[in-house]
Amino acid sequence: MSEVKNVNTNPEGTITTMVERDIKKVTARQKVVKVISQTIIYIFLLIIALVVLFPFYWMIISSLKSLTEYRYNIPTLFPEKILFENYLVAFTEGKLDVLFVNTLYVGLVSTIFSLVITVLSAFAFARLEFKGRETLFAILLATMMIPGELFTITNYSTVHKLGWINTYTVLIVPFLVSVFYIYLLKQNFLQIPNELYLAAKVDGTTDLKYLWKVMIPLALPTLISITILKMMGSWNSYMWPNLVTSKDSMMLVTNGIRNANFSVSAMGGEGSAADINYPVQMAAVAIVSAPLFIVFLFLRKYIMKGVSRSGIKG
Amino acid sequence: MANESVATKSYPLYEARKKVGAFLRKIKFDHWKGWIYLSPAIVLLLIFTAWPIFNTVRFAFLEKYSSLADLNPDITFEFGLGNFQYVLEYQYFKDCLFNTIILCVLTVPISTFLALLIAVCLNSIKALSRFLQTIYFLPYVTNSIAIGMVFAAMFNIVGLNRADINASTSLGIVNNIIQFFGGTPINWINAGSGYWENIFVMVVYIVWNALPFKILILLGGLQSVNKQYYDAAKIDSTPKWRVFTNITVPLLSPMIAYVVITGFIGGFKEYSSIVGIFGDTMGPPGAKGRLNTMVGYIYDAINGSTKQYGRASAAAIILFLIIFAVTLVNLQVSKKKTHY
Amino acid sequence: MKVELQNLTKIFPGRNKKVHEEVIAVNNFTFTIPDGKLVGLLGPSGCGKSTTLYMISGLQQPSGGKIFFGDEDVTDLSPENRGIGLVFQNYALYPHMTVKQNIMFPLQNLRGPDKMEKEAMIERAYEVAKLVQIDELMDRKPSELSGGQQQRVAIARALVKMPRVLLLDEPLSNLDARLRLQTREEIRRIQRETGITTVFVTHDQEEAMSISDLIVVMKLGVVQQVGKPQEVYDNPTNLFVAKFLGTPPINVFDGEVKGGKLYLGDAAVLDVPGVDDCKVYVGIRPEGFVPAENGALEASLNNVEVMGRDVSVVSTHVASLNPVVRSIVDADYKISKDDESVRFDLKPHKVFLFDKETEERIYFEVK
Repeated sequence: MSEVKNVNTNPEGTITTMVERDIKKVTARQKVVKVISQTIIYIFLLIIALVVLFPFYWMIISSLKSLTEYRYNIPTLFPEKILFENYLVAFTEGKLDVLFVNTLYVGLVSTIFSLVITVLSAFAFARLEFKGRETLFAILLATMMIPGELFTITNYSTVHKLGWINTYTVLIVPFLVSVFYIYLLKQNFLQIPNELYLAAKVDGTTDLKYLWKVMIPLALPTLISITILKMMGSWNSYMWPNLVTSKDSMMLVTNGIRNANFSVSAMGGEGSAADINYPVQMAAVAIVSAPLFIVFLFLRKYIMKGVSRSGIKG
Repeated sequence: MANESVATKSYPLYEARKKVGAFLRKIKFDHWKGWIYLSPAIVLLLIFTAWPIFNTVRFAFLEKYSSLADLNPDITFEFGLGNFQYVLEYQYFKDCLFNTIILCVLTVPISTFLALLIAVCLNSIKALSRFLQTIYFLPYVTNSIAIGMVFAAMFNIVGLNRADINASTSLGIVNNIIQFFGGTPINWINAGSGYWENIFVMVVYIVWNALPFKILILLGGLQSVNKQYYDAAKIDSTPKWRVFTNITVPLLSPMIAYVVITGFIGGFKEYSSIVGIFGDTMGPPGAKGRLNTMVGYIYDAINGSTKQYGRASAAAIILFLIIFAVTLVNLQVSKKKTHY
Repeated sequence: MKVELQNLTKIFPGRNKKVHEEVIAVNNFTFTIPDGKLVGLLGPSGCGKSTTLYMISGLQQPSGGKIFFGDEDVTDLSPENRGIGLVFQNYALYPHMTVKQNIMFPLQNLRGPDKMEKEAMIERAYEVAKLVQIDELMDRKPSELSGGQQQRVAIARALVKMPRVLLLDEPLSNLDARLRLQTREEIRRIQRETGITTVFVTHDQEEAMSISDLIVVMKLGVVQQVGKPQEVYDNPTNLFVAKFLGTPPINVFDGEVKGGKLYLGDAAVLDVPGVDDCKVYVGIRPEGFVPAENGALEASLNNVEVMGRDVSVVSTHVASLNPVVRSIVDADYKISKDDESVRFDLKPHKVFLFDKETEERIYFEVK
């Protein structure tokens, strides 16, 4: 009680001093601090942005340089003469047409089948009542903890025995079911009120029609995310295709471009086999990267949303 | 809507429908429907997920099991721990394990810290925020092998193995930048390069690649934090670093735990980024396999002319156990450090 | 269409089929809903009223008993073949479809002889929309509608295929108080105009009483009483029904019958001829009190709340089982707030006696 009185009666108490501060000075200092800190933050962020973007920039300008210019002692930050030929060479030398067709085919087919399987499974888990539903789902989730390499070993032996090596089947079938996608879509389906399902049942809607007319439209954003992730997965997959395909005609983009021989000598230039014709290689990389970039530009929202829930690349 | 039409509406198919309905109820169709919908998934999962779990464990305990078994069904394999013993005593496997751990231990903290810093900064600005967010996300939508090749080009010294080292030789843009600031160029990834130089390049590339996901998650977490905490801190004139350590980090701890755990899991499966930079030789010219990882070891084992399924399986199980243990430890730590 | 429920029973199995965890949601419910009537299923949450509705709809299968629509046994019929319309508590409108698409959705499922041409469907949709007065809103999405409008769309969707029975699950609980009054009139009007046998579920006794032709009061899966709202209110068969109906709620006292007289505390308050001596619960409706200078029942006065035409007298009494005794009397009786106590005579037909054990009604002759 006496302490409270002290504060009130003592004019030198801390609370009073704060009020008596020179408001103008404080305001000015506040502004300066704010401007400085914002500037530092922006500089930091812009430097990071430069670091992030630099490889892309370097890829593009290198792909437009001549080999001679690329090898300048002091590099040029912009090509002296823009050479689009590298792209043509990359396309033919890298047999990118075959790679693109293969990858698109594998990507599309596996995405479509994968979507169908995912939708059916997620619907069963989210809406249908059957014995063992929860147990089965728990088991499925548990398998997500196991690293894929553990499956790969046996699957590799399995597809060998099935004689699937160097076929499209081997690139598509083993990865059609993704427990993660089922989980993602099931969660989304569960957010749709069950009354909609009951209402549809009263109206005589069959399960499949309900799925098609109500569930799928309402879960479309998730389905788009899944589609993109799956396509990206096909586009970026390297290990499995590398194991199960050896023929050039069956290669996917990533294997193809890694294994392509862009050395200077292979293209009739002078130099050893270890000397890579970087401009051409960079052109090939640019071509391969372009589709993902374009998709990203248009579907940024879906990709970022899907990724933020997945954490799995591809 | 007249009363009459309601009353006179006829239902001619009633009897037939009733019978079908009763039949379906009798066989409890509703209990089977779920399984029918799940059947495609279950068939595929049985073949490509359930069977492999069992079979890979079996392989691991069949000593020296390899693809020879396919050629000659009469060969029998002893049951035992031989594969594990072989793998764990094998120097090359130990090197692979070491590489994997080194890359994990270096890249996960660096990328997490950087991502946190970037996310906090992004969250504190208004202009350009969305634009920068998009830029930071770009590395995610790249093919990690293709862009690895770009990094290789940036670090590569062209023509070092040619007689004429001068006029037409580029040291690589990274060395050029080092020279610009007055440093000495370094042999990063070419023949004769050192191990730690190689690791440095890998760390740079992996961190560059790992940032987008971490920034996305952490920024999402930051944006969902109630602004009132910050307002309260402001009124109490809390200094910025204290806001960061005492408010931001604790509130963000679930997300930080998440990116660290997924980071470690991804880190232990590191493979394709090394292929991107060094090719499937997994090392600079003249030092083949120097940077190989656990996953790389597994692939090499089953990709050889004799497919060493047994050893690969043993290695895969060791990898699984390590990931499992690390995840458990991470969860335990984050449980203690997570504040809500 | 008359709807008949015969010994309708629903048992939900416990986890892992443990018998003692079984829940009997509806127990042996027998009742006939006359054609063209509006019936309210009334009870507190968990009383089995929604389960009963869902069994009538066919969405849930009864564990025992039968359901007849008219003379047809529909027990084994799936919901779409029963010709019912169902309105859900949260309306369950498809969020990605417009009002028109929502209303037309049930029609698009009709097959065989019931199949409709597109024009006919649109015409029918507009007809129903007009009936519930939302024909101006046909191209909007549900999210652009108010709660009351969504409710109407839901009703329209249920009515559009001309159901034989209309079922409403807590149709008003998601609306605010003003809209609730308005919408319940609306439901009554639509029901009258269409003449469709309608069953609706509610936990709000006022709502049920105000619009139903018949109400069914349920508790823990067991039907307590069935009847016209006024009958049930005036003649509750047990303490639960008496307590559940009426605002303000009935006043309950501990009482005793001795020699044909009802005692509350020490005072004999009412003649109850023909009742044996026993301890009883006494329920007195708020309007059953008549202030009288020499009234038999004396209570200490707490407060007098003016309500306009009536006043609400709040008092306390030793035998009361409620914290206060609330009585509603005509404003003509001048009762001063400052009085220490107040005396009442009781209206015999507003006083109900209930057995202490069974809580069943004990009847006495009212002169």
